[in-house]
Amino acid sequence: MYRIRFHGRGGQGMKTASRILGTAFFLQGYEVQDAPRYGAERRGAPIFAYVRASKDPINERGIISQPDLVIVADDSLVPVPGAGVISGIDAHTVLLINSDEDPDTWKQRLNFNGSLFTLPVETEARAELRFIGATCTGAAARLLGVISRDALTQAIRQELAELGDAIVEENLSRALSAFGLMEAHAGTVNAGSVVSAHDYQRPQWVDLPFDQARISAPAIHAAATSIAVKTGLWRTMRPLIDYEHCNRCWWVCSTFCPDGAINVDDEGYPHIDYDHCKGCMVCVAQCPPHAIASIPEQDAQAADNEEARA
Amino acid sequence: MSELTYRRMKDLPSTHLLGTGTPMCAGCGGLNALHQIYDIIGEKSIFINAAGCMTLLSVYPFTPFRGSWLYTAMASAPAGAQGVRDALDVLLQKNRMSMQDDMQVVVLTGDGAAYGMGLSATSGAMERDLDFMYICYDNEGYGNTGQQYSGATPHAAMTATSRGPRGFPGFKKDLFSIWSAHKPAYVATVIGTEPLDLARKIEKARSLKGPRMIIALSPCPTGWDYDPQDSVTVGKLAVRTGVWPLKEYVDGKVVHTKVPHPRKPVEEYLKLQGRFSHLFEPQRDDALINEIQAKVGAYWEDVDS
Repeated sequence: MYRIRFHGRGGQGMKTASRILGTAFFLQGYEVQDAPRYGAERRGAPIFAYVRASKDPINERGIISQPDLVIVADDSLVPVPGAGVISGIDAHTVLLINSDEDPDTWKQRLNFNGSLFTLPVETEARAELRFIGATCTGAAARLLGVISRDALTQAIRQELAELGDAIVEENLSRALSAFGLMEAHAGTVNAGSVVSAHDYQRPQWVDLPFDQARISAPAIHAAATSIAVKTGLWRTMRPLIDYEHCNRCWWVCSTFCPDGAINVDDEGYPHIDYDHCKGCMVCVAQCPPHAIASIPEQDAQAADNEEARA
Repeated sequence: MSELTYRRMKDLPSTHLLGTGTPMCAGCGGLNALHQIYDIIGEKSIFINAAGCMTLLSVYPFTPFRGSWLYTAMASAPAGAQGVRDALDVLLQKNRMSMQDDMQVVVLTGDGAAYGMGLSATSGAMERDLDFMYICYDNEGYGNTGQQYSGATPHAAMTATSRGPRGFPGFKKDLFSIWSAHKPAYVATVIGTEPLDLARKIEKARSLKGPRMIIALSPCPTGWDYDPQDSVTVGKLAVRTGVWPLKEYVDGKVVHTKVPHPRKPVEEYLKLQGRFSHLFEPQRDDALINEIQAKVGAYWEDVDS
């Protein structure tokens, strides 16, 4: 059985990518399961989608903890613990990462000796790399080696039909080009063995005794604990205030920031809380003197690291 | 305190009470309105939240609120508010809580609950003259489950359940009038992109007793399909094109608090949103655009006469 896990950010089309791959498998005569993980599927937030495919009936359910192929549409997710990209990978797992950096760098960084491939990053800088799902699926189909060009084409046409011909063709051309790119590596992914229910080990749950509601109800006894959640990880673009040009207006940026992640100091200067800024860029669009720039988060982090080293 | 607390932009809060780190989408118009509203209502409040996007605000053990929060099923937030208000009144009566510690009871629901499933419970609460505030973040569809149509969906918008070439065939329900017909203490429409108007209305609502009903139009990048950075632009255009009239009902009278003059053509608002893209591509649907424009025009003609 093939077990494939997709990682991306909300808006990058991972759910659709998993559907396309699932349909392509189905057209090749496989039994298929494909499903996204339900949770906070927000634009920019880590998203998971799963595909299982087998020539025999599939009895496994739920999330895939030991994948044969892991597809990462956005390489900035790899170091994010909550994204769980490297969870359950071993030497037989194949990794496909959409990244500017070469496979050797990633192998070293992840201390990973299996097969790892990278796809060249799209230059489009916004959170929604609109066609990245199709690119990943095309490359994945070839790495699996059991999906034909025709099945991939038909699956894309079928799944994206309602988006109109122009979008279908654009996706198709990206998918087929990625399919071609991985030609030399066709069939690198090996199907994992079928796991028997007899070997199932229960997770080590902590059993809680039944208590009265006032003790056992999930009450929160502190204020604004959500601050502990670092939603800044969702950001793919970073707003940067140029204080030379900030005219200390009536804090337009602070009022319009949906997340309340911009606070104003006593002198009237705004400060962005990067631990929580989700990168919506409303402040960039609304700043009256255009004193807030928008820069790719990766570049900003690289610059931060430079500075820290210096 | 009165609405005169907010005379000019510089009177608006520059630090914010609502905690960051919530799982709302980047660019959420509902969260933009809520954080401004919360700055004014303050932490001495109990939020009763019906199922919807904002249920996710408080996922154990995380909450952005500084006061209490209670989760109810979709149709029953006003009933939950009744219980909470009664409990507070009992505590006050028994001198187990002082008047200074009394709290605002605030219902928070989306348009699915406000315009549809929860309308009956809301009607009952107004009928009983319940002392509470109701905040509806209206993103014109069941946003949390993928933008299926709701009673708040506007004519011609594409939703997950309105996929035809002309989008949603129905019309947005006039909740402001439905609520006003109950003659509650206060009804107002607001939007996060008009912060001064919003602040004045919430301040006024806070100072009144009885049912105080607020509808906040909430531009939704995910459900309306536009780039999150355009969230405020879309909201401002909703007001300037006359699509979202800012008004209040108090003492039996409806007053428009911001009359757009001159009104921009509705198409400037529609064009920014993917849910209306079928009005412009592959070919322009003048009949439908004109129909929407005519509805807006008729509304304001009524207001002027």
